[in-house]
Amino acid sequence: MKTTKRGDSPNCHFAAKPSTFSQYKTLLAKDLRQEFRTREMLTSMGIYALLVIIVYGAALALTANGLDIMKMGGGLLWVLIVFTSLLGLGRSFAHEKDQGCMEGILLVPLDRSVIFLAKTTANVLFMLAVEVIAVPLFYFFFMTGQPVAPTLPAIVAPLAVGTIGMAGIGTMLSTITMNTRAKDVMLAVLFIPLIYPLLYACVTATTAAIAGTEFWTDYFVMPLVLACGYDVVMLLVCWVLYDFVVSA
Amino acid sequence: MSDKKVKVPEAGQWPDNLVVPAVLAGAVLTTAGFLMAFLMVGPVNGAALSSPELVGDVMVTNQQLLSQKIFYFHMPVAIVSFVALVFAAYYGIRFLMGRQQRFDTCSRVAMEIALLFVVFTMVTGDLWTRFEWGVWWTWEPRLTTYLILMLIVIAYFVLRNAVDDPERRAVFSGVISIIALVDVPICFMITRLIPSSVHPVVAREGGMAPDMVAAVMIIMAGMMLVAFGLYRLRFRQARLDERVQALKDQLEDY
Repeated sequence: MKTTKRGDSPNCHFAAKPSTFSQYKTLLAKDLRQEFRTREMLTSMGIYALLVIIVYGAALALTANGLDIMKMGGGLLWVLIVFTSLLGLGRSFAHEKDQGCMEGILLVPLDRSVIFLAKTTANVLFMLAVEVIAVPLFYFFFMTGQPVAPTLPAIVAPLAVGTIGMAGIGTMLSTITMNTRAKDVMLAVLFIPLIYPLLYACVTATTAAIAGTEFWTDYFVMPLVLACGYDVVMLLVCWVLYDFVVSA
Repeated sequence: MSDKKVKVPEAGQWPDNLVVPAVLAGAVLTTAGFLMAFLMVGPVNGAALSSPELVGDVMVTNQQLLSQKIFYFHMPVAIVSFVALVFAAYYGIRFLMGRQQRFDTCSRVAMEIALLFVVFTMVTGDLWTRFEWGVWWTWEPRLTTYLILMLIVIAYFVLRNAVDDPERRAVFSGVISIIALVDVPICFMITRLIPSSVHPVVAREGGMAPDMVAAVMIIMAGMMLVAFGLYRLRFRQARLDERVQALKDQLEDY
């Protein structure tokens, strides 16, 4: 029998240590199961997204007809996504903290960055689920009056890249702010500056895809590459530093 | 408990002796550079105007030629702010490696110096924006990323205030100081990545004349020395504060 790291004595039989991937799957399944049972995050984020759209309706009530909504659509869509995900990320560790789940997870001898990966994946899935509802709603309320560019489906790429980066940075920051006073404000204060480069690139790419003018790829490819680079750097940094943050 | 020797934070190491000479030298160098920038270095490429004239399609006045002098302070101050952020992140890493409270203080003080120089950069940059571009603010890539950098540095201090437990506060702020460093290369490279930016890139516009380089270097050396002096002074003060606190706690135990 293969001896485990701590099993020096031959009488000591440990069960085989679960693989990192199965730990990841278990943690992810726990988050998803919790969400399917309570539906707390999806409903609150979905309703919040709808409310932001309604506020847009009031804000643009007089100007919407004269305005070139195709030029502003990308920006408005991302404002919606940023605030909705801010709400979701703030909640993502609430259960863990309130019901003592975090202590339980930390007692398990696993690589702490697995927690980060699982939590980020869960947040990506929740945010994507909300976007699947919110983006068509946004289209329905604001963009049906205008001819649609054939390049519109390309907004999927910046949405995906932006969501992954925001979920990664947000998971890290909500772990930090979980233990601070005035959690929600703290999360916003840290989150918005840190995602800003990503947001800037994603808004540019999304706007280019929505407008779909002749040279739209000039404003689409480069920002998307930069956004991917920022994602990679930030996710790596957060992945490495997560151990310190979660055990503090 | 007599067997456990309580460690009191130490303060006043030898670099503190360098503070006064460093600040003095920094002040002298900065003043010399200031005088040099105005008295010796000519306007860019020797331009001089007695009255407003049309150069290319742009109306150029002597005010614009003179406001170019802001550059001699703006760039060195910005570079010093980047250096301070690098040090803050370095000490953040050192803290996370060894968990010595001393490095947390180092990181925090370096971040304070960074904030000071970031604010200087914003002020000089805003003067430039007003007099060269004619607006108080423009959402130009370099300005935007630098504003974001300032907000991250401010957020660092907001976070420090929001955490009660000192150990936890030190870990969190160490992590944030490392993450903040990611924005430094972005801010530095952005004008090269987005060529439409109106922010001047000196290398792209043919580099500087030797006398300009000399003035910039002298001011940069001066600013570095001033930053070092401020850092050591503030560090000593923070350290002595911690020492007093530790001694007080020790007294309460008796």
